[in-house]
Amino acid sequence: MRQAQAGDAAAYAGLLSEVALRMRRLVRRRAPWLSSEDAEDVVQDILLSLHQARATWDPARPFMPWMVTIARARLADNARRHARRLAIDLAASDLAETFCDRPTNSTSDAVVTMMSLRKAMQDLSPAERQAVDLLRLREMSLTEAAEASGSTVAALKVAVHRAMRKIRATLGRD
Amino acid sequence: MTTDDTHAKGTQALIARLVTQAPPPRPLAHPARRALGWLLVALGFGAAMVWVIGPRPDLAERLVDARFMLEQGAALAMGIAAAIAALALTIPGASALWRLLPVGPGVLWLGMLSVGCLRDWWQWGAVGLRLTPDPACFGYIALIGSLPLLVLYTMLRRGVPLAPRLSLALAALAAAGLGNVALRFFHMQDAALMVLVWQGGSVALLALMAGLCGRRLLPWAPRAA
Repeated sequence: MRQAQAGDAAAYAGLLSEVALRMRRLVRRRAPWLSSEDAEDVVQDILLSLHQARATWDPARPFMPWMVTIARARLADNARRHARRLAIDLAASDLAETFCDRPTNSTSDAVVTMMSLRKAMQDLSPAERQAVDLLRLREMSLTEAAEASGSTVAALKVAVHRAMRKIRATLGRD
Repeated sequence: MTTDDTHAKGTQALIARLVTQAPPPRPLAHPARRALGWLLVALGFGAAMVWVIGPRPDLAERLVDARFMLEQGAALAMGIAAAIAALALTIPGASALWRLLPVGPGVLWLGMLSVGCLRDWWQWGAVGLRLTPDPACFGYIALIGSLPLLVLYTMLRRGVPLAPRLSLALAALAAAGLGNVALRFFHMQDAALMVLVWQGGSVALLALMAGLCGRRLLPWAPRAA
């Protein structure tokens, strides 16, 4: 890090690669429920935070406690966001069940919506499409869907969240 | 190529971008040193505000009043300690004990005002503890603390938002503490209970309000950056 702060780009690249390696292990150990994509997102968040916090490292102090503090804070922040996201998803699914949304649309509106929805479904990955199919269309519980798909409850929650976000984005665009 | 390899490749691309993106920044100075720079700005602004509003007519008498000066000294010390603590909280790996730094001067300030309340009650009875509305205190403290808070906020953003709520609450405590010191140089209000409730309350309320905005105002940098 001392060399990196002195402007040695190669040393900095080496340091970040080493940090990425260690953080990948740490994230998988501390947050095993995350998919590999989400885990890598957290690793990248940590690298970015470390990069932006370079000025706060004092060369007279050890590097590891400095880095671990950033990683822990970033993990905690990520866990908070993850929990909030799941809570929003659960609330949204409750709302969908509570209110029967059957407005007096014209047939053409219904066709456009159907086409947009089909397009949105095509944009999903196979895992996301399966999660929407099991949880939203067949209305299975998370446990039943996990059994049916051979996946985990956590992975399904993440997949359906991502899918709904993509669908909302596509429908909003259309 | 597995999905994991694809993700790791994305991380390597990010590393390559970070390495070429920006020159290494100058390391930040010690929090106490940075707080000293902030203090100069805050005191300058406070003095300017006292000059603009006009000092109290009995200021010369107050400046030789030990109780007044001790209360002012404790409030000033609390403000400086809170600024150092706020800055230290944005340094990863810094001791968690930094956050306790303003506790001592803060307890001293509140303790002196509480003893003042007892003294006023002993001297004048219930009249000494009369509480009348004085909401202007809040406005003045907020006004005088505004620029110091803005400067301290900018300084906090150069650090890491490890405890954003506490950092911003401490920053507001520092700015409002100094605002309160300046206020007493032009505001003729020395009854201990009035100072405790309206001035102490304003400082606490501003710190609380800033603390509640901490996460929003001191976020982690977005990934797109």
